[in-house]
Amino acid sequence: MNHLSDQELMRIVQGGDLSPASEIYDRYSGRIYNFAFRFLKNSEAAEDAVQEVFVKMIRHANQFHGDAKLSTWLFSITANWCRDYLRKADNKSKETEEVLISLPAPLEHGPDRTLEQRENEVRVQKALKALTPEQREAILLSRYQGLSYAEIAQIAGCSEGAVKTRVFRAMETLKKELTADTRGGDRWLNAVR
Amino acid sequence: MAECSPMRESFPLLLTESLDAQSRELTHQHIESCAECAEEWQGMKDAWRMMAELPELEPPARIRQRFLAEIGVAEKPSNVVPFHRRPAVKWLSQAAAVVVLAGGSYLVGHRSRPVTLAPNNATLTSIQSAAIQPAAFSIAETRTVNASNINPNIEGRPDIQNVQFIDTNPHDDQIALSFDVTQHVTVTGEKNDKSMVRLMSYVMENEDRMSPSRSRAIDWVKQTYSDPSNTDPEIAQSLAKVLRNDTHEGVRIKAVETLKTMPNATGDTRDALIAALKNDPNPAVRIKAVDALARLAASGELDSAAVDTLRQKAMQDDENVYVRTKAAEALGKIRP
Repeated sequence: MNHLSDQELMRIVQGGDLSPASEIYDRYSGRIYNFAFRFLKNSEAAEDAVQEVFVKMIRHANQFHGDAKLSTWLFSITANWCRDYLRKADNKSKETEEVLISLPAPLEHGPDRTLEQRENEVRVQKALKALTPEQREAILLSRYQGLSYAEIAQIAGCSEGAVKTRVFRAMETLKKELTADTRGGDRWLNAVR
Repeated sequence: MAECSPMRESFPLLLTESLDAQSRELTHQHIESCAECAEEWQGMKDAWRMMAELPELEPPARIRQRFLAEIGVAEKPSNVVPFHRRPAVKWLSQAAAVVVLAGGSYLVGHRSRPVTLAPNNATLTSIQSAAIQPAAFSIAETRTVNASNINPNIEGRPDIQNVQFIDTNPHDDQIALSFDVTQHVTVTGEKNDKSMVRLMSYVMENEDRMSPSRSRAIDWVKQTYSDPSNTDPEIAQSLAKVLRNDTHEGVRIKAVETLKTMPNATGDTRDALIAALKNDPNPAVRIKAVDALARLAASGELDSAAVDTLRQKAMQDDENVYVRTKAAEALGKIRP
């Protein structure tokens, strides 16, 4: 089935044959998982998001129209799920886990991954946390998913102008957070050695 | 300059190379002529480049399994009814049932035909056994029931899984139909009731790996058993097992956080925390372990082995910098 286009796979699903489900999952689960994880800052919630997004894709397959990209439709479902998740008051406290949970072990990315790279990763995670959910959604879709402002506007339910503003504001905040001198930790560690 | 603001708003589009040729040229010309915007542009480029440091994560394989199971799609189509290994002890809401249909009173007429019953299509509902009257309810139950004791009128739609068809001796009329039937059970009792404590431990240690309810179980345990009047060593031991064995880092973090709140730490608790600090692959878990050990130290319940582990971590060059920092901070707070 891997030679079929997204639209062709979805037409099969719409016809009641669910056999393309695993192929569609394999094409998009990584992108959906990374988006949800970076948006929600909670790995358990990201897992639930992926599961529910793909189940919804199957259950509501007939709502997908071939004139749109499947990725845009899937990210719309994902973004809605994530926004609902954040709206629930009892989920807000879980956000704090994100930066810690996502810290990589020293060898998880190979011995060539330097300490500086790992520090930068943590700084990016923390910087993303400083954004509003709307800004974070826009910058994640633009920077990491390569979506156009028109596609992001469709997903976020706003105008392209609003997306442009959100991405710009997000980048201003990220620039401030990421380019500041935050190497105090190293100095502190050297002092206690 | 008045034109700076709209130019800067276009910087992200310049980064994604989404500007048309004319706008791109205009924006670059402006950057060359405006020192402030040039600085802004450089900062934005640096931030954009740093954002690439986030690694792409692989979604855990269990999500795929859960998804395909929920929509009823098998990975490899098969005509054979799948047999799933039964855990040594079944989960609380499942009472295993084995029904031996003896005498051929119900299915004997079908022996010469292939059996085609699929688990998902089973329409059996309430199997009533008048002859079985257990003295006390047992959570983990395997019964062998004679067909003559089964009410042939099956009502409702019981959830039947792991169906097996057994004909151990083709030369006689005896066959067997084996399956799990799910029941919903509510157990009530005092917080310190031994059965309740063991059920709680069992839920934490044996809950299906694909279910998100493990972390909810740990939340509930934390809420219920952190009170010194309710504390129980078996709960702490179960949390220690979760910390050692669970594959999900979020669950392990909760296990550490809950252990931290448990008064009167046992040796097993301390050993589990030290092991997590030494060996857990996730630095977030290790950081939480440092916190928990530091708290134990503050309450005077820490021995030299734990302090040594903290010291090793603080000095370990290839350890995550935040784990090292936390360990050093914890050591600083421990009174000699």
